Amino acid sequence: MSVQVKDVPFAGTVPSPKTENEGMITGSWRTRRPILDKDKCTDCRMCWISCPDSSINLTNGSVSFNLKYCKGCGICNEICPVGAISLVPELDFEE
Amino acid sequence: MTKENLFEEPGLKQITVWARGVYENKEARDVVVAITEAAASEGRFVQAWENYVDLPDRIYVPVRAYGKISDQEIKSKYVYENEAPDIVALTEETLVKGVNILEGIKPGAVLVVNTRRPAGYLFKFIKQGTENLSKIVTVDANSLAKSIITLSGAEGATDASGIGKGMGAALAAAIVKATGIVQFESLLKIVGNKNAAKKAFEMADVVEVKTLVRAG
Repeated sequence: MSVQVKDVPFAGTVPSPKTENEGMITGSWRTRRPILDKDKCTDCRMCWISCPDSSINLTNGSVSFNLKYCKGCGICNEICPVGAISLVPELDFEE
Repeated sequence: MTKENLFEEPGLKQITVWARGVYENKEARDVVVAITEAAASEGRFVQAWENYVDLPDRIYVPVRAYGKISDQEIKSKYVYENEAPDIVALTEETLVKGVNILEGIKPGAVLVVNTRRPAGYLFKFIKQGTENLSKIVTVDANSLAKSIITLSGAEGATDASGIGKGMGAALAAAIVKATGIVQFESLLKIVGNKNAAKKAFEMADVVEVKTLVRAG
């Protein structure tokens, strides 16, 4: 967990917006994994707007989760108006 | 002189408890405080503190609490991280996945996990450091007591909620059962939730890692 001093970003800042940051991987914080039920999803994109870590990708209009950074906060599950996102215990998945 | 042989302390036992920020920060601290207080009541030299680098006020972040117990005076008392733990405990099962919890463990180290799942299932997720691991202990501490969620005491000031009132008491009892690091009676005198501790002491399931390797 401890990080070399030279690797620590100054005051935790990021020079410019980016989608990948190897120094701030938060996927290991997750205890529950969001799972999307594509049949229920209406593509309203509320989860994409609300995700505090921008861990929801929008590709060709449909959402997917970036599990490298998703810390399992469950906001997407709370905000989804049709209940298409469920939270499954992380250890139910082998990978 | 390297960092490894700076302190020769054969009698020193190191306990590292991993937890999730905010939800279980207090429980992790309770586990090490309860066990070290119990050891101190038996006349041994102890230390208990939390990691200075981790961020306990961020939800779900992996955080660590440390304990040291020794029969002699602790020489390495200013070393502020446990570099070679004898006991590793997890307040939450998913820490086996993606976090290098067994880093630097001594040969014969014991892993204690708060989980409903069998030890063999958890063992599959641990990628590093298992060659020195001797036992995995599982206990469903969440069924015995709830986690006390508070940041009181996180900065080293007054801990308003008392020691071992939540799930940490059960986890500490499981550690004592598996390792015998202190007498269970001395632990019972310290923890608040004595019922949970007693039940966890009965319930805790101790599995030898050797048997898991053969099976898997």
